[in-house]
Amino acid sequence: MKVDEAPNPLAEGLHDYRIADPAVMVIFGATGDLSGRKLLPALYNLAKQRSLPAGFAVVGAAMNELSDDDFRKHASDKIHEFSRTQPIDGRVLDAFLSSVSYVKVDFGQLDDFKTLAKKLQQLDDANHVPGNRIFYCATPPPTYQTIALQLQASGLNKGEGYHRIVVEKPFGSDLQSARELTQTLQKVFAEDSVYRIDHYLGKETVQNILAFRFANSIFEPVWNTNLIDSVQITVAEEIGIEQRGAYYDRAGALRDIIQNHGLQLVTLTAMEPPLAFEAGAVRDEKVKVLRSIRPLIGEDIEQSTVRGQYAAGWVLGEQVVGYRDEQNVAPDSQTETFAALRLFVDNWRWAGVPFYIRAGKRMPKRVTEIRIQFKRPPHLTFGREAMKEVDPNAITLRIQPEEGISLKFGAKVPSAGLRIRSVTMDFEYVTSFLVEAPEAYERLLLDCMIGDPTLFTRADEVEAAWTLVDPIENAWRNGRPPLGTYPAGSWGPDTAAQLLQGDGREWHRP
Amino acid sequence: MASAVTALQRDVNPMWHGEDVTIADVLTALDDIRLKFARAEAGDDAEHLHPRSCVMTLIGIAPDDQQEKVASLATQAIGMEHPAQAIVLREEAPLAGGRLEAWITTDVRRPEVACAVQCELITLHVKGPAEEHLGPLLDPLLVSGVPTYLWWLGTPPFGRRELLDALRICDGLVVDSAEFEKPYQSFQQMSGMLKLVHHRLGLADLQWSRLRPWREMIAQFFSPVDRRPFLEGISEVGIDYSGEGRGNRIVASLLTGWMASALGWRLRRATAGTGGVVVAHYERGDRTVEVEFRSVPKDGLVAGELSSVRVAGVSRGTTFRLGVHHNPERARGRDIDFPERRGHDTARVLLTIIEIGDGEPLRHVQQLESEDEVTLLLDLLSTGTHDEVFNRSVAAAAALMQQF
Repeated sequence: MKVDEAPNPLAEGLHDYRIADPAVMVIFGATGDLSGRKLLPALYNLAKQRSLPAGFAVVGAAMNELSDDDFRKHASDKIHEFSRTQPIDGRVLDAFLSSVSYVKVDFGQLDDFKTLAKKLQQLDDANHVPGNRIFYCATPPPTYQTIALQLQASGLNKGEGYHRIVVEKPFGSDLQSARELTQTLQKVFAEDSVYRIDHYLGKETVQNILAFRFANSIFEPVWNTNLIDSVQITVAEEIGIEQRGAYYDRAGALRDIIQNHGLQLVTLTAMEPPLAFEAGAVRDEKVKVLRSIRPLIGEDIEQSTVRGQYAAGWVLGEQVVGYRDEQNVAPDSQTETFAALRLFVDNWRWAGVPFYIRAGKRMPKRVTEIRIQFKRPPHLTFGREAMKEVDPNAITLRIQPEEGISLKFGAKVPSAGLRIRSVTMDFEYVTSFLVEAPEAYERLLLDCMIGDPTLFTRADEVEAAWTLVDPIENAWRNGRPPLGTYPAGSWGPDTAAQLLQGDGREWHRP
Repeated sequence: MASAVTALQRDVNPMWHGEDVTIADVLTALDDIRLKFARAEAGDDAEHLHPRSCVMTLIGIAPDDQQEKVASLATQAIGMEHPAQAIVLREEAPLAGGRLEAWITTDVRRPEVACAVQCELITLHVKGPAEEHLGPLLDPLLVSGVPTYLWWLGTPPFGRRELLDALRICDGLVVDSAEFEKPYQSFQQMSGMLKLVHHRLGLADLQWSRLRPWREMIAQFFSPVDRRPFLEGISEVGIDYSGEGRGNRIVASLLTGWMASALGWRLRRATAGTGGVVVAHYERGDRTVEVEFRSVPKDGLVAGELSSVRVAGVSRGTTFRLGVHHNPERARGRDIDFPERRGHDTARVLLTIIEIGDGEPLRHVQQLESEDEVTLLLDLLSTGTHDEVFNRSVAAAAALMQQF
């Protein structure tokens, strides 16, 4: 191994300190909501943790006519408003802002990209940066392809150093559009330089699913069809669609949540142990799960899926309107705000184990959890009467809120007789560590700077997910199964309960 | 003997105080306090008592009243971040009776989205030196299944057999070499002890934690692949520190020991001159690296603290120079604060200046966290006290210090 390929020996032992090379990050859509709420505060917090190296620079790029100072003022305001850590440290902020500049870029104007290129070259020269670039598309998805092609046309995708592009979900609206997007991005950048960000994977508790499964030896031996009866995944929100009516009415719960978050949770729950926690191995295993999921086609879709839309009702004590009365929603909208699926992962480990996924808006509360339901003991040693209050064992992985893990098991009730009752053993992150987890964007931005795509979505993963979802989406657009309704503040339409009742099961109430 | 548990109310710290008591009395009182808390938090659910959460036992050994106060406040503050059982042992206490004097206080923390957590602080006053008591006294109090960390304020009796015996109950020993009474001798003894302690024991020094930002900045400079060859081209290292005398060169020696052990430098010779100047020569293959320590008077730095570090050399015809400078706008005090969260605001920074070839110098400012005991201990305890890099650096530093 040559010296310049070897690990940096001075970095050994610096726990949790991951060193990124100096680079320039260009934020397209720098004056927008994502940039202001998430990206700029995350970068400030990385600076505060000393994770931004000397020579790192941020260039805001947007349509607005702004000077560098105008943009710095904008960035400062957003950081003050949205930073996870408060109060803001003036000296850290000043140092960070000194590395921030702005270029007006109209995505349709090649000349603007050429101006941007000149600016980046100046920064490289001043900062001893060998051309490392990250292009972050904090812009609406329809602009991704335009930006990528303009980067190509202006030569910004080539040269010394690395050149990475970051795009936010959704990655297309169906299989065809996802493929088109991938083709364009891959025309301009190598696949390993495309970072598809789904901030969900940056959450500590989502990553902990892998730690729970693969850092402990006691769970894997029971994590299969021999002992597991079923898996339930719930992604529930108490909020409605807020200001996103125009987008949501085109997307619906299936595309907005199930296609990405829901299937991500399925893959993390069902995947085989990767060889190592590194990008290739982890993502290979996730894709294998997606490809092992039995496709729902024809009548399967009517029997194994449920869609619903919320009507007026009460949520957390507040009266709310029905979906069709929300702003920017068609009065006769057929868009689902609730989706539930029954899936089977057709492989050795999971043969015959149903995975029930549900996601919805205007549910009684905000909760995301994975429940692993175990089979009943093969023999009732203590008799039916003693066991009547005992549920089967279950492990619940709570993603949010109250992040933690619960194990449910039977224990003898203290009494002269022999009566067994279900009890839970709880692990809560907050009480075990009591330290604040970093924002998902801090983790993911640093991963991108370091060049670690483990927590980003690969093209084949995106396509595999759309391959599963597209037939369902098409059937739903044709009214199969019919759209049910549910009162806001409930757990979905009656057909959702019936989906499990038909299997002799019921939804766990989170 | 007085051993009455005060009435336990929710959100009110229960307290117990016993004079001339035994550990058995303390344990009885603890059981009582825990049971009452568990019942109170469980509410009407008499069958499911509130679970107890504890991630470690943290023991502070205090040689005098002032250190006892520091240990108590710091362990309580840490308890607010890590649900822990804290024990403060005050040695050589003036006791009237032949047994112990003990206090139990508790703090209850109620996270927004989780169950309440009760952190316990047990303060014990003992006669005679701490090392004679540690095992038999503290073993019954330790929480099973979680690590035990021993934070020794002042100077541990490194040369004594009793200390090694006492450390059998611990997973980690934390010291602050900045607080050693005879820094040079104690540091050498500490280095020697590393070879003798049981394999489970990790040793940590708060001085090493204070070096962390410096190590980060130096490591960061060499991180880009195109700068990695610079590591083989280092020819000069300069370290400015405050104070005089060999006892104040521990931090400079630790930093040098870190670089030398990481980069495979072999110490050839070192000499100390007047005015706190030390020159050491290391070899790596056919190259020589010269390391120079200079004592510099600087307001705001405590004795032994680093003021600046310079690393320079040539690689493949390109000269490079890295300077890391401490902005000295504060003095490290003994005040304990209670940060609401880690990394709270400070006005302290490291200024990094990078010069490569003929390019303009690049300046970069990075924040330094607070260096109070609470922050440093939290960092140490969250990552554990087993640190091979530290062990190697201490050994290399001790070897260097022996030369002057």
